[in-house]
Amino acid sequence: MIGVWAVELGLFVLVVAALLAERPIAVGLTVAAIGILLLAARTSPRLWGWVATAFRTHRAAALAGAAVLALALPFFLRASPYWTFVATMALIYVTIGQGLNVQMGTAGVINLAGAAFAGLGGYTVGLLTVRLGFAPWLAFAIGPLVAMVVGALLFIPILKVRGHYLALVTIAFGFIFNILMNNLEFTGGPQGIKNIPTLRLFGHAFTTAPTLFGVTLPSHANFYYAALAMAALVTWLAWRLYNSWVGLTLNTLRDDEIAAKCSGVSVTRHKLLAFSIGNLFVGLAGAFYAVMVGFVSPPDFDFGYSLVMLSVVILGGLDSIPGVVLGACLLIPLPERFRMLHEYRLLLYGAAIVLMLLFRPRGLWPAGVRRYGLGSPAGSFGAAGTRAEGVGVSR
Amino acid sequence: MSLFATRGLTVRFGGLTAVDHVDAGVEEGETLGLIGPNGSGKTTFFNAVTGLVPATGEVVFRGAPLPGLEPHQICRRGIARTFQASRLCLGLSVFDNVLIGMHTHVRCGLLEALFRRARMLSEVRQALKQAAHLLSLFNADLVDRGFDPVGALPQIDRRRVEICRALAAQPRLLLLDEPSAGMSPEETVELMKDLQIVREEMPGLSIIIIEHDMFVIEGVSRRVVAFNYGRKIAEGTFAEVARNEEVREAYLGRGSGTEGSARA
Repeated sequence: MIGVWAVELGLFVLVVAALLAERPIAVGLTVAAIGILLLAARTSPRLWGWVATAFRTHRAAALAGAAVLALALPFFLRASPYWTFVATMALIYVTIGQGLNVQMGTAGVINLAGAAFAGLGGYTVGLLTVRLGFAPWLAFAIGPLVAMVVGALLFIPILKVRGHYLALVTIAFGFIFNILMNNLEFTGGPQGIKNIPTLRLFGHAFTTAPTLFGVTLPSHANFYYAALAMAALVTWLAWRLYNSWVGLTLNTLRDDEIAAKCSGVSVTRHKLLAFSIGNLFVGLAGAFYAVMVGFVSPPDFDFGYSLVMLSVVILGGLDSIPGVVLGACLLIPLPERFRMLHEYRLLLYGAAIVLMLLFRPRGLWPAGVRRYGLGSPAGSFGAAGTRAEGVGVSR
Repeated sequence: MSLFATRGLTVRFGGLTAVDHVDAGVEEGETLGLIGPNGSGKTTFFNAVTGLVPATGEVVFRGAPLPGLEPHQICRRGIARTFQASRLCLGLSVFDNVLIGMHTHVRCGLLEALFRRARMLSEVRQALKQAAHLLSLFNADLVDRGFDPVGALPQIDRRRVEICRALAAQPRLLLLDEPSAGMSPEETVELMKDLQIVREEMPGLSIIIIEHDMFVIEGVSRRVVAFNYGRKIAEGTFAEVARNEEVREAYLGRGSGTEGSARA
C-alpha cells in the first residue's frame, strides 16, 4: 500500500516539476526522467509485475491516493493560473473522452462530431443565459440535455448507415453545426456569445479567487475542482455502465451485430442509448467550457477539436475507462508544454494516432475483461456438484 | 399440433430462389436433421426463420405466426441459433459470451446498472452461476477459464461456448448451423457427445440441425429433411432419406433410375 502511494507521489512530483519548469533544459530533463522511468518499468518484467500487482491488490488505496493528489494539484500550481487552466481542460477532456468512449469504444458507433455536440451544450448555455436570462445553473443543466436530444434526432436518419458512412454523416453534421453558428444571427455569428455569467456555489462566484486552508489559489482553481468533480462523476458512471448488462450488450453489438440480434438485442434501441449517453457527457463538458471561459464562438468547436477528442480515446484505449483518463491527461497538457511545436499540433495528434494504430491498436491502457466489479475468480461460479457431473460426462 | 412449422416458405434474392416453397416442421422435443449439398438453401432457411432475410410464406411457432418480426423479437419468442462461421465476440470473456444469450431474460436495465448496483450484481451472479452450469455440461475447464477471452480457446471449445450462448436464452427451438464445421474427426465425436448431453439435459427442447457429416446426423436425429436447389426433396428417417434416389443424385450426381422418389 505504501509502495503504491510512493509510486503515485513520485510520478506526481515529476509531473508537477515538468509543468512548472521554466527553462527548456529543466523541462527536457524532467520529461526525460518520466520517460526513462516508465520505459524502465515497462521493459523490466519484474518491476512492472511488482507495480501491476501492487496496484491491483491495493486498488482502493491507489484510487484514494490519486484522489488526494488530484485535490492537492492546484496548491502546487498556484503560482501559475495558466497551468491550472490546462489541468482543468484535461479534466474537461476526460469527461468528453468518457462520452465518446461509450459511443465508439463500447458500442462501436463512430462519432466524429464530438466538438459539435460539445458546442451544442456550450451554445445552449450561452443562448439561455445571455439572450433569455436563464439562471446559470439551470442553463448549465439544460445544455447537455439539448446535446443529447439533438443527437437522438440526428440518429434517426443515420440509423441505416454504419461504418465509414456513419463517420461521414457525423463529420457532415459537425460542419453543418459550425456553418450554422457562423451564419445565424441569434447565435452571434463569428463573434459568438460573450459575457456568459459564471456559476455561483453557496454565494461564492467561480470567478473570485478561493482561499483554502489559508492559501489563496488562482480563480481558475474553482473550475479545476468543479471539473474534477464532473470528470470523476462521469468516469464513475461510465465504469458502472461498462460493468453491467448494458456494457455487455453494447460490446456484443459492436463485435457482431447479427449475433446480438439473434440473442434478442434490439440494435436500434441500444445504439440510440449509447449515442445519447455519450452526447450527454460531451454536451456536459461543452456547457462547462462555456461557463468557464464565459464565451463561445464557432472556432471553439470546429472539426479539429473533434479529432483531438477522437485521439484521446484512441490513445488511451478504445473501451478502456482508465485509458480515457490517461489519454486526456497526456494529450491535453503535452502540446501546451511544448508550445514551440504548437503549430504542428494536429500533425502530431495525427502521427500519434497512426503510431498507436500500427503498434498498439488497443491503446496505452487496453480494456480488460469485464468482471462486473465482482472480483471473484471464474471457478467460484461453478457449483461443485454440477462441475463434477460435467467432468464425468465430457472428458 | 407441432411446435414449429413452415408452409410454402420462400426466399428470393433477385432472380434466384434460394428457398422454394418449403414445408417443414418439428415436434416438441424432437431433433430434425437438415441435409443437402452446398448452396441448397439450408442456411438461408435458418436465416429466414430467424428473421435475418425477408421471406414469404407461413412460419408458425407455438401457435403464432413469425414473419414480419425482427430477429430480436423472434429470439424473444423462443428460437435461438448458432452460426456456421463462428459469431462469438472473440475479445469478450467466455462468461460474457454466454451471458449475452440471457439478454431476453435480464430484468435489470440502465437504472439498475448505474444506481441500484446491489440488485444488478445479484442478477449477474445468478447469471454467472447459470453460465457456469451450462459450460460445465460440456467441459468443466471452461468454467475456470470463464474470464479468459474466447479468442484464446481452441475451436471445439468456441463451438461449445456458442451452443451455450444459444442455450442460455432458454429456447424452445434450437437451430444448429453445421456445428461440426472446421472440426477434426476426433472433435466431431466430442461434439456429438455434447449434443447428446443437450438432448438428455433438455428433453423438451426441439432442435433442427444442419450437418454435412452424416455420422453426426445419423447419431443425433431421428427424422431428416433433405434440400436441393432450395426445395425439399425428401423427408423421413435417416435410412429412408439415405436410400432416396433424388438425394443420392443430389450428392453423387446423376446415376441410374430416377423413379420412385420418396417425397413426403
